[in-house]
Amino acid sequence: MTGVAVEVAGLTKRYGEVTAVRDLSFVVRPGAVTAFLGPNGAGKSTTLRMIVGLVAPSSGTARIGGRPYRSIPRPSSVVGAAFPGAAVHPRHTARAHLRVYAAMGGYPDRRVDELLDLLELTGAADRHVAGFSTGMRQRLGLATALLGDPPVLLLDEPGNGLDPAGIAWLRTFLRGLADAGRTVLVSSHALAEVQQSADDVVLVSDGRLVAAGGYDELAATAGLPVQRPAAEPAGLERLFLDLTAQRRGDDRCNS
Amino acid sequence: MQQLIVAEFRRLLATRLWWIALLAATGLGGGLVGCLALVGPEHFSPPMPGLHTAAGARLVLGILGYTAFVPAAFGTLAVTSEYRHRTVDVTFLFAPSRWRVLTAKLAVFAVGGLCYGAVLAGTAAVGLYAGAAGHGSTVGVPVGAVAGLLGRLAVAMAVYTLLGVGVGALVGNQVAALCLVIGYLYLGEPVLMMIPGANAAYPLLPGGATAALTGFHEVSDAMAAQLPTTAIHLVSPVVGALVLLGYTLVAAAVAVFAPLRRDLA
Ligand SMILES: Nc1ncnc2c1ncn2[C@@H]1O[C@H](COP(=O)(O)OP(=O)(O)O)[C@@H](O)[C@H]1O
Ligand SMILES: [Mg+2]
Repeated sequence: MTGVAVEVAGLTKRYGEVTAVRDLSFVVRPGAVTAFLGPNGAGKSTTLRMIVGLVAPSSGTARIGGRPYRSIPRPSSVVGAAFPGAAVHPRHTARAHLRVYAAMGGYPDRRVDELLDLLELTGAADRHVAGFSTGMRQRLGLATALLGDPPVLLLDEPGNGLDPAGIAWLRTFLRGLADAGRTVLVSSHALAEVQQSADDVVLVSDGRLVAAGGYDELAATAGLPVQRPAAEPAGLERLFLDLTAQRRGDDRCNS
Repeated sequence: MQQLIVAEFRRLLATRLWWIALLAATGLGGGLVGCLALVGPEHFSPPMPGLHTAAGARLVLGILGYTAFVPAAFGTLAVTSEYRHRTVDVTFLFAPSRWRVLTAKLAVFAVGGLCYGAVLAGTAAVGLYAGAAGHGSTVGVPVGAVAGLLGRLAVAMAVYTLLGVGVGALVGNQVAALCLVIGYLYLGEPVLMMIPGANAAYPLLPGGATAALTGFHEVSDAMAAQLPTTAIHLVSPVVGALVLLGYTLVAAAVAVFAPLRRDLA
């Protein structure tokens, strides 16, 4: 799989008085899991929605493989995106939901069965989604995003509401996608779930970029042990808190 | 476009909504018309011409025009459930060209609305003749005219379905859109009809145009007779059809262009 990078340049979104995202720039590379981190309200969801054209930026651009999302001919075959709370009609079955979007993207029904298998939903495929657990909904959202076998995945808080086993499963799953050469951008406000699998980090706070780069590099700058995970489970969390605290301090000085 | 249409058909058939809609069409068509025919318009309050007269037969069938808010509400319900359950996000991810999505929906709901209309008209025909037989009366309109009238009603139902889709796409919020559609079509227009001055516009409103299309003068005449205002003069059936066509085009344009620039945050 040839890699497709995501590039965000000077992205800004204002909602009246509120500036959700300010002049944000970063690049997400293929073949890696990039953690898009920041506290609640930092502007992560707004950024992801601007990348895929659901929200129009006030200024700036987002490009996928050099093109804006809306000008990609069959976008679901290039980018798979999933937002929290699985957008599914509760009276649809998992299979019916996937069949709607398979038709929309022009994918064969066989692909629906493959994804139900891959996401371990085959047993629940013909049940109404209303009865699904959070984990099952998240997996159905992932299945929908993967229908077109896209090289880029943008996942907004995919670990929300997952139990530790679900998070471990997700981590392995994302690692597999990145190892296959895909570009994987995963937002999270909870660090434990991504820290053990993130290669790169994009850290935002209050709509602004705080830090971006390789995890190891950032950890070294912040004076944290570069050695990863289990031994130092608080590592990324401390980095996160340190860096956002610094930013909060800057703001206070500015105002 | 073909892919989008297939997808929207799959979406429509994936819940029981279509089944409930056709059940409603049967209830309103066969059920309501059958009951009215069985009772006989001469026993209405105020008494109307009997079923054996042309006016009486047209009255019984024309009442169906007032049930057009039902398919409109189904259209609104179906479109706004995309916003309510946020599937619209996924839809616009798969098809970022939003106007094409809405065009596909309009095509699908035009077919859906015609199916609703066909079931309504078909069961109404059964109800009319069965009710008349049960009442021991004849139907005061020839079979061909009954078929023509029911055919026009069926098309009107499809138009109203699209009106509902248009309002749903414009408003987005399910409860607000349903209140608007049902409130206006079920309560708003009949009230407008009674307001002196405002009722001059009634012939050109959807309800007035539908009444013109079905030759349904009795209700407006009866209302006018009870008020110290001049009678409402409905437009001719052809003009009524053109007015409805105009509303369909407006609803379609609204449905197609309303979501274009809306942020899905
Ligand atoms: N539609 C909207 N209207 C007004 N403000 C919004 C809207 N969407 C998001 N915001 C605001 O923008 C900021 C960033 O929100 P969001 O992108 O959801 O952050 P995150 O995903 O990092 O939690 C928050 O302050 C939020 O209240
Ligand atoms: Mg968010």
